[in-house]
This record gives sequence, structure tokens and C-alpha cells, in this order.
Amino acid sequence: MRHSYLPYFRLSVAGAALALALSPVAVLAQSANSASSSPQSGASNSERWLHVRVVSNESKGETVRVNVPLEMAEKVLPAINKDRLHDGKVRIDSRDMEGVDFRTLLDAVRTAKDGEYVTVQGGENDVRVAKQSGYMFVHVTEKGGASKNGKSIEKSKVEVKIPMKVVEALFSAGKDELDIVAALRALSAHGDTELVSVKSDDNIVRVWLDSKNIAD
Amino acid sequence: MILAKVAAGVFGTIFLAGAYTFREGVIRVDVDEYKDDGAHVHLWVPAAAVPTAMRFVPDENLREASAHVKEFGPVARALAKELRNYPNTTFVEVEDQNERTHVRVSTDGARIKIDVDDPDENVHVAVPLATLDDVLSQLESRAKGL
Repeated sequence: MRHSYLPYFRLSVAGAALALALSPVAVLAQSANSASSSPQSGASNSERWLHVRVVSNESKGETVRVNVPLEMAEKVLPAINKDRLHDGKVRIDSRDMEGVDFRTLLDAVRTAKDGEYVTVQGGENDVRVAKQSGYMFVHVTEKGGASKNGKSIEKSKVEVKIPMKVVEALFSAGKDELDIVAALRALSAHGDTELVSVKSDDNIVRVWLDSKNIAD
Repeated sequence: MILAKVAAGVFGTIFLAGAYTFREGVIRVDVDEYKDDGAHVHLWVPAAAVPTAMRFVPDENLREASAHVKEFGPVARALAKELRNYPNTTFVEVEDQNERTHVRVSTDGARIKIDVDDPDENVHVAVPLATLDDVLSQLESRAKGL
């Protein structure tokens, strides 16, 4: 009778022994996790990272760096179902297209030979749209008046370089839809490349793709 | 002899609880506002305690969070799952012109960390990713009952 609580003590002692036995495993597991957590640990060689860097030229001069693994974006995006974004696809309102059939336009560009398609040299903007070596280039230079020697001053400069495969993947969904996940998948198959560069009085923006998990 | 057994039982239970807490990690919230009457919150909670504590929170107090979980739950769950593949990675970083980091969103092992170092306030939050999963599961199950 005096020892009716003995099984509970035994159970506690057994539990303690079990915890003691398992704790090094837990510690080792965490150590191993930490050891493998060098700056490149999450990134295997084949892993692709999308980087965005925004350098503000304003008084505070802040720099924002965003690093996103493409694989993670591919898996998380389909989970977002809000407004026009569903299952990794963005629904486009035909009114947004302003009567332009982008699919036909894209098909025409895809099958056409390399070359410059649009060159506009205006008073306010210079625009250049070209296709070269499997890439689509869009360059827009906004002008901000003229210097003393009569040359125009560049107010901002936007350079976009997108692999054609990515553009095709983007338009691979149904009508009036952009397949963002397919575009990311196509993008991950590409080597290191600079996608967007914006230089203006206020900011310098750079979007690029590489296999490092840290920005420059 | 009996005392020794009691002590072994007590220490064993404490050790077991400690090992469990250690495995699950700790939720850390530090907030320091540098102004008159500014808040100073320093909270270290064993992550294992949160899902258990949530069971005792009345439904009406979780109604709003449960309503929102239908919208953000799948994204948060997918994100928490994927973030585990990227330990010790900085996803967002904001530096000032002196290259002093004042906002950082990163992972530290199996925890998500948000650090804000500002002249007006410092905020440091660290949450084990597993806890996010547990909390989401609880909120989702509560949402079904609403």
C-alpha cells in the first residue's frame, strides 16, 4: 500500500532517462542544422534566386534588398487567392489591354527574326523594343529638358531584358490570364541575368537572377 | 529512499519538459520604444506552450483571427513550410546610407526573425516555424466552427 505510487515514480524516472537519451539527438540535430546553415546552405548550386535592390537617392539614402528563391515563389504563389491572382495566374481585364491582342502580338514577335521592332525618338521619351538572341529588350529613356550644349538630359532610364521563353510561359495560360508560376519556372531555367534596371533621380532599381542567396 | 525517488520523478519531469521546450524553441518578442511613456516589452514564451494555451482562449477572442485565416492561412502555411528549406537566409534587408541595417526579415535555423532597429524603436520578433503551423491549424479548426 505504502508503495502504490511507485509505478508513477518509475514512469517519471523512465521518462527522464528517455529525455536524457534523446536530448543529445535533439542537440545534435540542431547543431547539424546550424552547421549546415552557412549563408549558402539553403541554396543548392541549381537553385535560382531573384534579387531586387532599390537604392534611394533621397536624403535618408536607404537601400532595400529583397532575395527570393524562385522555387519558394513557385510553391507559395499558387496558395495566394486574392483579387485577380488565383492559382499562380493573374486574370487580366480586357479593358486593361486597351484593345491590344497581346497573344497575337507575342506570337508575331516570337516567330519573327531578331531585330528592332519599335524605335521611337521623341521629345519626352526614347523607346526601343527589340528581340535578340532569345531575349526581348525594352529600353525607355525619359528626357528632362536640354543641357547647355543642346544635348538632352536623361531624367530616367528603364532597361528590361526578358528571356523570350519567359514571355511565352507568361502567356501560356488561358485567354486573359498571365501564368506567373509558369514564367517563374521558365526563368529558373536561365543562367545569371539582369532583368530590370531603372536609373532615375530618385532611385536606382535593379532586378536580377543568379544562384547566390545574398544580394551584392 | 522515497525522497530520492520523489526527487528523481520531479527532476525527471522538469528535464522532460525542458527537453520538449528546447526542441520546440522559444517565441521571442522584444519591443523598446524610445520616447516618453514608450513601451518596453520583453517576452520569451516556450513555443510548445502556445498551441496548448490557445485551446483555452474563448472562441469570441479568436473570431477575427479565425475569419482572416481562411484568406491568409494557406499562404502562411505554404510559406512556413518553404522557409524551412532556407535556414539562415536574409530575405529582406533595409540599410541606411551608413550601411547600418535597420530592418531585416530572415530565418535563423527553423525560426523566422523580424528585426527593426530604428532611432525611435527597436523591435525583435523570433517565432519557430513549427509554431506558426500549429497556430494556423488551431485557427483553421476554430474557423470551421464559426
